[in-house]
Amino acid sequence: MHPTLLNLAIIAYVVATGLSLAYLVQREEWIHRVASLATVAGWVLHTIALLARGLELGRPPLGTLPEAVSVAVWVIVLLALWAERQYGVKVLGAFVLPVVLMFSVKSASSRVLPGLEPALSGAWLWVHIGLALVGIAAFVLNFAGAVMYLLQERQVRAKRPGNLYYRLPALETLDRLTYRTLALGFPFLTTGILLGLLWAGRAWGSVFTFDPLAVLSFVAWAIYAATLAGRAAAGWRGRRAAYCAIAGFAALLLTLGAGLFLPGRHGG
Amino acid sequence: MPLFVAGLSHKNAPIELRERLAVDEDKLRELLRDVAATGAVGEALILSTCNRVEVYGVAPVPGEARTAAFRHLCQHRGVSLGLVEPLLYTHVETEAIRHAFRVTASLDSMMIGEPQILGQVKDAFALAQACETIGPSLHTLFTQAFAVAKKVRTETEIARHAVSVSFAAVELAKKIFAGLAGKAVLLVGAGKMGELAARHLVEQGAFPVYVVNRTWARAQEMARALSGTAVPWDELETALGGVDIVITSTGAPEPVITRAAVQRVTHGRRARPLFFIDIAVPRDVEEGVDGLGDVYRYDIDDLKQVVDANIRERLREAQRAEGLVERETAKFLLRLRDVEVIPTIVSLRERLEEIRAGEVRKTLARLPDASMETRQAIDALSSAIVNKILHAPISKLRESSRAGAHRSWLELVHELFGLRRGS
Repeated sequence: MHPTLLNLAIIAYVVATGLSLAYLVQREEWIHRVASLATVAGWVLHTIALLARGLELGRPPLGTLPEAVSVAVWVIVLLALWAERQYGVKVLGAFVLPVVLMFSVKSASSRVLPGLEPALSGAWLWVHIGLALVGIAAFVLNFAGAVMYLLQERQVRAKRPGNLYYRLPALETLDRLTYRTLALGFPFLTTGILLGLLWAGRAWGSVFTFDPLAVLSFVAWAIYAATLAGRAAAGWRGRRAAYCAIAGFAALLLTLGAGLFLPGRHGG
Repeated sequence: MPLFVAGLSHKNAPIELRERLAVDEDKLRELLRDVAATGAVGEALILSTCNRVEVYGVAPVPGEARTAAFRHLCQHRGVSLGLVEPLLYTHVETEAIRHAFRVTASLDSMMIGEPQILGQVKDAFALAQACETIGPSLHTLFTQAFAVAKKVRTETEIARHAVSVSFAAVELAKKIFAGLAGKAVLLVGAGKMGELAARHLVEQGAFPVYVVNRTWARAQEMARALSGTAVPWDELETALGGVDIVITSTGAPEPVITRAAVQRVTHGRRARPLFFIDIAVPRDVEEGVDGLGDVYRYDIDDLKQVVDANIRERLREAQRAEGLVERETAKFLLRLRDVEVIPTIVSLRERLEEIRAGEVRKTLARLPDASMETRQAIDALSSAIVNKILHAPISKLRESSRAGAHRSWLELVHELFGLRRGS
């Protein structure tokens, strides 16, 4: 990454996260406006940093997992900005930005850039990583939507409206947000994984070897597949769908954690 | 002349007195004319609602104006002034401005954020305008008060959350469903509150409406009133299967909707949310239905609890609104002071321009052979001198007005430059 620009972007994300959390407690419109501004500023800086890095490397900045996570953050922020306007969920930032921050700090602190194996090149690889990342970004929003759904459901059921009750949108809106993001993320993740398998078969001769990231990504994929099937065929909604979204995201986090910390083909 | 407001409100005067002092529009007109005729006030506006009677005005001695106004009012209403006088509050200048802003923005209302007061102040203003008792001071004050009230309504949520049970039910529905358009409503029973809640839902786009009642004729009547469809009592359970919101308000001693019945219909609903608004006492919907997934049930006590929370939310928002009013009052004071110094600045300029033009004319008359260039140069020179001289006193006046100490400076400038009073 381009260090200075990236650091500036992270600072902007930190500011945006802080303000978004403050907006949960203190409903002053200016806080929300400044938080949005900081988010957009961070995203623009991030875009420039990624472009600069790509030019410097002469390849997409997706070669190592920290690089890939940084790109994932970039997609998440873009999707969050869209979803906030689309669904009118002004408090979305408070639920998405902490995840963004966690990821971007992680990716920025892993500065070691090992040389790529000769096997790790070619357009298919970039497509594999890129698609998987868009899928992951959609699932971060899916997760945020599910958390908001469960919080709001509790408020409505408890019959004691608290601070959040007034700020969170309708249950149906949140349910739609989780459904839409699931429907968006799933095909990306599926194609991403399939391409990974095909490409691994060509590069290493074996489609599947025991790689922690690959195994865990199948687990996450299976959870999301089951949720999508349940929603589409059995009319799952609401709480059940929200729990599934959280389980899927936990698997996804483990996947990324495995990629970042355990040795394997994806290790970086 | 200072701005003032004098009167009494629900905060300090009992309803028995307020109702005796309330006046209708014709009387108000008469009263305004009488008060203006006493000469004690320069401008006047009378606000008379069931929660307050107040006189806003501009008067050299606010205390006298207040007594004059309330003496007339008490005479009109046959109330002894001695009874009213001790309850009257009087606010002058800054406090009067703040009070006008707070009242108009519904921060001083019995139910904070209630929307009627703005209309009532506007009516009082229109009436005073018709009686020609509004001058520049009250005009600026109330135009600004209306703007502040609007700002408070849009920037805070003091009027956002429902404080009546039937509106609270509608708001709850909006926290469950993304929108009420196209949501099917079932009204069980013919209670007034139930009908009101159904009406609110229909106003928000809920459609279609089904009505169930033990008395078929009553069901049909209510269905007609709500542009809905009457459904026979035996088909209540079938109807439950196809709707989103159920309002119950029957007089039945036992629950008419049981957990078992709801459980039977949930299978066919595929997790579509079902919201019960139970306004009946004794309750119509069995408590156990809550435990079923995607079923929400609120009884009258739950709704009251929501209303209480909404009121607390309004009070919290009112704190923010108070801050906003405070800032607006300060801004308005600055503007008012600017308004006070501007006439003096204008007449000072006019006075010096008059002198300059006269002297230039005299000089040029003595120089008949002067070229066009010379004439222009003389003119420009004199203008430059005047502007240089004016710069310091004008800046000083503006500065002193911002600091609130302009009165003595205004006097001084008038004396020094021999300006006419009141111009």
